[in-house]
Amino acid sequence: MKTILTVDDSPSIRQMLAYVLSSNGYHVIEAGDGEEGLMLAKEHQADLILTDQNMPKMDGIGLIKALRGLPAYKNVPIMMLTTESSPALKQQGRDAGATGWMVKPFDPEKLLEMLKKILP
Amino acid sequence: MSTTPHNAEAPGVPAYAPPVAARELIERLASQIDSAQSEIGETRAILKDAVERLMPAFTALRNSESATTAPGLDAADLPRAARAIRASGQAFSALQFQDISDQLLAHAQIRLVSLLAEVNGIAAALTTDFSAPNEFAELMQKVIAANCNLASLDNSLVKPVGKTHLGTGDMEFF
Repeated sequence: MKTILTVDDSPSIRQMLAYVLSSNGYHVIEAGDGEEGLMLAKEHQADLILTDQNMPKMDGIGLIKALRGLPAYKNVPIMMLTTESSPALKQQGRDAGATGWMVKPFDPEKLLEMLKKILP
Repeated sequence: MSTTPHNAEAPGVPAYAPPVAARELIERLASQIDSAQSEIGETRAILKDAVERLMPAFTALRNSESATTAPGLDAADLPRAARAIRASGQAFSALQFQDISDQLLAHAQIRLVSLLAEVNGIAAALTTDFSAPNEFAELMQKVIAANCNLASLDNSLVKPVGKTHLGTGDMEFF
């Protein structure tokens, strides 16, 4: 079973993601901010990470930079899932090492299609 | 209050009236800003509460589907889960309104708090006696500083949400 780490400061978004992902056969780990996400990523090897951008303590781009510095996460797909859609911020995400960018609100089916492409 | 060179030109108006009127106006502005800020805070709390009440329904749905997450995943259950996801897709998208609107409201609160601080600073400066040589200059310095602070507020705030509707967002791979 593939493990997905979701990082978002909104409990409702985390809960919705957990529902969509777990009911489709993925194991889900949840973190409420970038720092917790980094800690959990070190404790459990995730196969994919979905992260928000605007969060307390450490934002999504900061998390990606930190994860890309870890050998275990050099090649793990990291998708941004955020309300942010400015080209400048997307470029920052790309430079940090994000695999892709998905703008909220997310459509569960599109999310699952995307996961099938990245995690065959 | 003494006559000052700055308010002496208005005929028929007591010399003290303009500063007093200005101070009263600014205090009213401050009061309105403070109330608006509080009301936004209450709105955020109501939205949060509403979503927290809705979430147990989703938790129940999640639990009812938990069999499909068991180690021996039954492939026959996946289409059923997929149908459930499709049926609730619109609800999922719409329920994300709280996350999106909360970010917008939080930004509006930051703007109002900044505005209130500047207005209060000017109100405090208006209580002084303008007959003193440097009082008016001091007030003008505060006005100029407030102007600069509010002008730079947009630069310091990253736009929280680029959306004006709840249609689902785009996706791209880098």
